[in-house]
Amino acid sequence: MISLANYFQIFSKGIVLFILLFYLNEIYAAEGGPCKDYGECDKFQYSLNDIESLQRGASTYINYCYGCHSLKYSRWGRVAKDLQIPEDIFFENLVFDKSIKPGDLMVGAMPEDSANWFGVEPPDLTLVSRYKGDDWIYSYLRAYYEDSSKQYGVNNLVYPGTAMPNVLMSLQGNQRLVCKDVPVLARNGGEKRDDFGNTIFKEKCGFLEVQDGTGILSREEFDTLIYDLTNFLVYVGEPSKATRERIGWYVVFYFLIFTALSSLLYREYHKDYNK
Amino acid sequence: MQDKDKTRRKVLIGLTSAVGLSGLPFAATPFIAAWNPSAKAKAAGAAVKLDVSKMQYGQQIQVSWRKQPVFIVRHTEESIASLDLALPKLADPNSDKIEEPYRGLNPSRSKSPEYSVFSGVCTHLGCAPKYFPEIEPKPWDATWNGGFFCPCHGSMFDIVGRVFKGVPAPTNLIVPPHMFDGSILTIGEDKEL
Amino acid sequence: MTEIAGKLFTWINTRLPIVNTFERHLSKHPVPSKVNFWYLFGALAAVTLIIQVVTGIWLIMPYSNTEEQAFSSIEYIMRDVDYGWIIRYMHTTGASLFFAVVYLHMFRGLLYGSYQKPKELVWIFGCTIYLAMMAEGFLGYVLPYGQMSYWGAQVIISLFGAIPYIGESLELWVRGDYYISGITVSRFFALHVVALPLVLIALVFLHLVALHEVGAGNPEGVDIEEHLDEDGVPLDSVPFFPYKVLNALVAIGVFMTVFSIIMFFFPEGGGYFIEMANFQEANPLVTPDHIAPVWYYAPFYTMLRAIPDPLGGLIVMASAVAIFFIVPWLDRSKVASIRYKGIYSKIAITMFGVSFLTLGYLGTVGVTEVRKTMSVICTIIYFAYFLLMPIYTKYETTQEVPERL
Repeated sequence: MISLANYFQIFSKGIVLFILLFYLNEIYAAEGGPCKDYGECDKFQYSLNDIESLQRGASTYINYCYGCHSLKYSRWGRVAKDLQIPEDIFFENLVFDKSIKPGDLMVGAMPEDSANWFGVEPPDLTLVSRYKGDDWIYSYLRAYYEDSSKQYGVNNLVYPGTAMPNVLMSLQGNQRLVCKDVPVLARNGGEKRDDFGNTIFKEKCGFLEVQDGTGILSREEFDTLIYDLTNFLVYVGEPSKATRERIGWYVVFYFLIFTALSSLLYREYHKDYNK
Repeated sequence: MQDKDKTRRKVLIGLTSAVGLSGLPFAATPFIAAWNPSAKAKAAGAAVKLDVSKMQYGQQIQVSWRKQPVFIVRHTEESIASLDLALPKLADPNSDKIEEPYRGLNPSRSKSPEYSVFSGVCTHLGCAPKYFPEIEPKPWDATWNGGFFCPCHGSMFDIVGRVFKGVPAPTNLIVPPHMFDGSILTIGEDKEL
Repeated sequence: MTEIAGKLFTWINTRLPIVNTFERHLSKHPVPSKVNFWYLFGALAAVTLIIQVVTGIWLIMPYSNTEEQAFSSIEYIMRDVDYGWIIRYMHTTGASLFFAVVYLHMFRGLLYGSYQKPKELVWIFGCTIYLAMMAEGFLGYVLPYGQMSYWGAQVIISLFGAIPYIGESLELWVRGDYYISGITVSRFFALHVVALPLVLIALVFLHLVALHEVGAGNPEGVDIEEHLDEDGVPLDSVPFFPYKVLNALVAIGVFMTVFSIIMFFFPEGGGYFIEMANFQEANPLVTPDHIAPVWYYAPFYTMLRAIPDPLGGLIVMASAVAIFFIVPWLDRSKVASIRYKGIYSKIAITMFGVSFLTLGYLGTVGVTEVRKTMSVICTIIYFAYFLLMPIYTKYETTQEVPERL
């Protein structure tokens, strides 16, 4: 005979199963990612101990971005110090306004009415790596493409309708959206073939391709440039990050030793009442 | 309980306490360091630059460095020459009692023979002494040869900030680090120091 | 010298019960000899409270409670103040872990019947602490004046607006302005750093005094007072010092390891401890794409969203917290511990746990139709756990509780 308890158990198992199904559904239900039309953002792995990369990134930032985008929570001297650039060299080569002192904040070089130029005021980017994420920046800066319908003749896959012109175009070259024949994927993940064993192709659009010879830099060089720039923005977003991760190891190690010792001591005393 | 166990306990207690206590100074570090002047305070307290060529001979001006008054005096040749007149009155003519950055370099105590640069904070209780360049009898000194007089407690200093004998102020006025680049004076920083 | 010190000590002790208080609460007081890891979260909560108070005091010093300065003063702490970032991350990590530890502590209470007679007051003080913590956490989250501070506060304060008749004027009164401005930040600051910490500390004191009056529980639900030795000390107990202190020390070691791993390597907690949008200064004109509360409010936020009517949502959300207070009177079981309760109780608490976690997950993601249905189901299970408790605890067959631990 089935008791009430059995019914109860069956009922609750049903609900647990339902919840499990829900979670399975959640895993497969892909939500629109932050990189919009670009699809998955490209993964970015920062390397804050690569001082040279940070130095190149800082130089790119100051030459190409700082004209519009301030870093108003950061101080010139701190950047020079953290990036191990001697202060006189730093100020001679990267600071164009000679009245600036090392302790000054990087408040930008834009006049007040700049909002009118682009429709929006160029945002301060000190914390952009923290509210947008480094993956997003790395993808965004490489996802510009030619689009004559837009004000500056460019659009962006990661940020459709972006107000910012592609200031790095001379370096990257003219990037366009192209269509390509790509192999059709079968259900099992392999390439789908026709009856004669030939791979089946299908035209797919939305690929980014740089026109040959339009840019100063090669594709790899440009990617490195953006890598360095993003790396620098990660640094500026949290200048103590490298220090934090370095100290962290010591602290964790300390607490592990403390835990080990105290648990030995605890076991020793535990014998008193649990023989 | 066996002796072996007792020793083991003692050793473990010792080790655990030692590790635990050794962590305390590290844990306290951020809290102590957070009270240091911040980067903002340091930026506000950075060196100040000014052009001193427009100063008149015998004139004294006051600039603010780290929100504290710093006195600059431009001396005439006669006043520099007359510095020795005050010698018998001085308590510490060679600034032996204090850290003097440019001791013996110039009679003006600064890096320039023409200008004196020193803090305008009386070494007694922190009032600002006043400049009286006139060579004439004063209520506080019948043989006044020009210098600084502090209205709070009557301390006296000569025109290069050296303290007189028998006044409340214990030491000469402090000379901050400074440097001259032509007529541009930088107070608070000296690349050669 | 020692003689004088001894005399001074006696002089004080005859006027102030130092020795008694110390022995009663910190050294001699008897605790059950056999407990499991669930019984360590109380001590960890105390440790976290201390961390929060100390780091909090240090954060008040450089923080600026004005509309113009609040956000930038946080960056000032993170960059310009020596080691300011350590202190701030300790505070943000501490806030999340405080809730984590308290949730586990509360779940322990539900598992082992830590609210049963005579511990009702201990439980009620505990629930009040939780309530005060929720307010404290909310107020603290507004202080950085980032986008999530602003919009989170906007949502929560709008809840007051759902109250009939007085709602709108109440909203205005709480803000002191027509939007969440510097005035609001400033008053939240006062409440966060003075008023609520005072309340919290007083409540923790009461929680402990009440606990030490009735004695700590154990996972068996055995009353250790039944078997005493000739001195009147329970046989199944050990003195708090050194035995329980050492036990707590191990727990603190593990906890601090976890704490430092999060604090030094994942301070944002993947966007759950410090939300990404909060690195943007508050902008009353631009709502972030996706408003999610910090994880520790997420289950209740989901309940709020599950109900289409704001007032209904508010009532459900408030009841979800309030219902904890009456648990001592909902449980009709003869036994305290889940170990000896019947199958219904075991199923019920599992379902409750699963639904609470699911509600939490749902609160941090956007709304879809499926998720909405799920939130309703989980809200029903959540309440069913409490409301059906008088029935299933009374009529289920329980097992025999042993005499001794």
